[in-house]
Amino acid sequence: MATPAKTEPNSPRNFLKWFDARWRDSGMWAFALNRLTAIGLTFYLFLHLGVLSTLARGPEAYGSFLQLIKSPVFVFGEFLVVIAGLYHGLNGIRIVLTSFGIAVPYQKQLFYVLFLLAVIGSVIFGIRMFTV
Amino acid sequence: MAENKWTVNFEIYRQKGQGAPKFETFAMEVRPDEYVIDAVERIWAFHDRTLTYRHACHHSTCGACGMRVNGVEKLTCITAIQSITRNGGTVRVEPLRNFPVVSDLVVDMGKMYTRLEQVGFRTTVPLNEAPPPDSQGIQRDRGASTELERLVDCIECGMCISACPVPLTTPDYLGPAVLAGAQHRGLNQSSAQVLALVDSSDGVWRCHSAYECTAVCPSSVEPAWRIMDLRKQVVKERFKRIYG
Amino acid sequence: MSKPSVIIIGAGFTGVATAHDLAQRGVQVDVVERGPIANGTSGRTHGLLHSGGRYAVKDQESAIECIDENMILRKIVPEVIEPNGGMFVAVDESDLAYGEDFIEGTQACHIPIEEIKPEEALKMEPNLNPNLLAAFIVPDGTFDPLRLALSFAATAKSNGARFHTYTEVKNLLFDGKGNVTGVHVWDRTNGQERDLYADITINATGAWAGEIAAMAEVEVPVKPTPGVMVAYDRRLVERSINRLNKPGDGDIVLPQRRMVVVGTTSYSVDNLDYVPVIEEQIDQMLEQGAQMIPSIRQAKPRGVYTATRPLVGSGTSGRSIARTFKFFDHEESGVGGFVTITGGKATTLRLMAEQTADHVCEKLGVSTPCMTKETPLLSYRLFYSLPN
Repeated sequence: MATPAKTEPNSPRNFLKWFDARWRDSGMWAFALNRLTAIGLTFYLFLHLGVLSTLARGPEAYGSFLQLIKSPVFVFGEFLVVIAGLYHGLNGIRIVLTSFGIAVPYQKQLFYVLFLLAVIGSVIFGIRMFTV
Repeated sequence: MAENKWTVNFEIYRQKGQGAPKFETFAMEVRPDEYVIDAVERIWAFHDRTLTYRHACHHSTCGACGMRVNGVEKLTCITAIQSITRNGGTVRVEPLRNFPVVSDLVVDMGKMYTRLEQVGFRTTVPLNEAPPPDSQGIQRDRGASTELERLVDCIECGMCISACPVPLTTPDYLGPAVLAGAQHRGLNQSSAQVLALVDSSDGVWRCHSAYECTAVCPSSVEPAWRIMDLRKQVVKERFKRIYG
Repeated sequence: MSKPSVIIIGAGFTGVATAHDLAQRGVQVDVVERGPIANGTSGRTHGLLHSGGRYAVKDQESAIECIDENMILRKIVPEVIEPNGGMFVAVDESDLAYGEDFIEGTQACHIPIEEIKPEEALKMEPNLNPNLLAAFIVPDGTFDPLRLALSFAATAKSNGARFHTYTEVKNLLFDGKGNVTGVHVWDRTNGQERDLYADITINATGAWAGEIAAMAEVEVPVKPTPGVMVAYDRRLVERSINRLNKPGDGDIVLPQRRMVVVGTTSYSVDNLDYVPVIEEQIDQMLEQGAQMIPSIRQAKPRGVYTATRPLVGSGTSGRSIARTFKFFDHEESGVGGFVTITGGKATTLRLMAEQTADHVCEKLGVSTPCMTKETPLLSYRLFYSLPN
């Protein structure tokens, strides 16, 4: 047999393929969304820490920050955080259960139910955040 | 019998030696109930003798003909063309992921076979340990069945490893087929080396529950469930070894 | 003093078994195969490990070979075999009439059979035709086609044989006197061509034996005879079920993993490299199979394919080893260094290899006797993990 060609099966650049769930089953979608929301929530975490540091700079600095976050962009950003948190947390419960061999044959149904709960939760939060 | 013929474009992944990969398209006349492997074989026989691909049994028992068809792993000998496209459609055929490409649609699965040997995956089981009967099935005379044996379901096709997102970035992940093989044998029947192999960050703990392995398996192996069961076996074995 | 060397063209059952035998006797073996292992006829066998019952009436030499080799394979490569026995069943009066000849024939060939009452047969195999008239148990088995070939190939590799897959023979190489000295090959994985030399070149290409022999302008009377097989998506039986009649179309239903396979037919074809499925034959298989296992009608076809048997003509050219397979030493036609082995069936692969290796070793002056009867084969997976 000839020597294998130079395609690398395991390469750090391949991590982009984690997010490609086209034509794949629900489990792969759940996986891809889990990673996407994880990146989003981590980004939010750093942002949040940065924000809290303004407290150390006194009431004026914090006050001007409070004005900023009332802008629609930020409110929408917060909404995304809620959605991501709901999805990541609920799917996380599914992962914890199945990782210990509980309900593995029902992982698909579990995903659909929890995804529905995440959607319902997001809608409720959305209504509360965008109406008053 | 009405000769129902479709025209389907087959985009075939081509790669030779150290050259760059590319896709070549062949417009093929096919019967809709023919299988993808039939079209690939005709491309080789009548259009391009340089095409290389793996196949042997043509009835899903050898595991040789696994390929990615329109992006998803399929056993091409049992994948009817009408199940994946329609008249005038396009079918993209690529080699499996996560294995080095040797040439065109042929990949090198040596690592998987070596690891299957390392975990001692059995090839036959006594009939009374075999999976439950088919739905209209055989009421097995269990008393007489200790001498009867059955080949295991897993045909070592590598499709589960191709579909799994983890080997995309982790070179040493054992992969669903190998972990399922270790689970099938049972850690209580295996050596300390096997326990160390699967109870590692590249073993049973590297799975991140994408479940795509079970989704593409053509042989009802259910590797995802087996990986989770193997975790339970690992924990049990560790307890045994600590507490005697 | 270098080892005697052979090139084997073809890595189907004949090629891999011969490679194993010769490698074990210390011969340097290079196998060239244009595709992957067993991608021709061998990979597509329905996987029946013959007890010989099928041949016990009309071809007793074959039948005895089958039962003997059946027992040997169960010992040397049990990992790829389901040793679950088989049945011959009569579903109509004409089948029943054949029963007497069958009993006589199997006795003459030392094939152990046991007649059982239809009710007992139905208990063992509930999906049998409830109207069956008679049943005999025979020591059939079923095996995994590719893995049987790989087991021989892996063991051969462990003894130094080299396998060059995706490597097609374009033409033979000759010395000035018309003898074959090797092969000119095309590596299909990278397009490169090269020459390989050996003391003897063995044509083990089965149905294609005539095409390869033509490269040396010699003739081999092989008549390629394809047949269709249909694999259904339910494992309706645990043993091979044979029709109690003379060999004919659709007379076998056997299990292969979670399927049953029904075979087969017999027709002729021009182009060996692609044999199309004839749709009417699929219906034929359903009808024939359903006579023994009616619930096949509720199953769906999972795979439909053809396989081309290498039937050897009854012409007497060449030294006949047995009626089903034949060895040809083309030195007799003036082409030294070139031999052909073709015909046969999967069950007798080891025997074909033994007799081929005996003849080839005689020509090479190698006196080591055959040891393959007693040698357990290595795990088939080692074929992929052992280097060349």
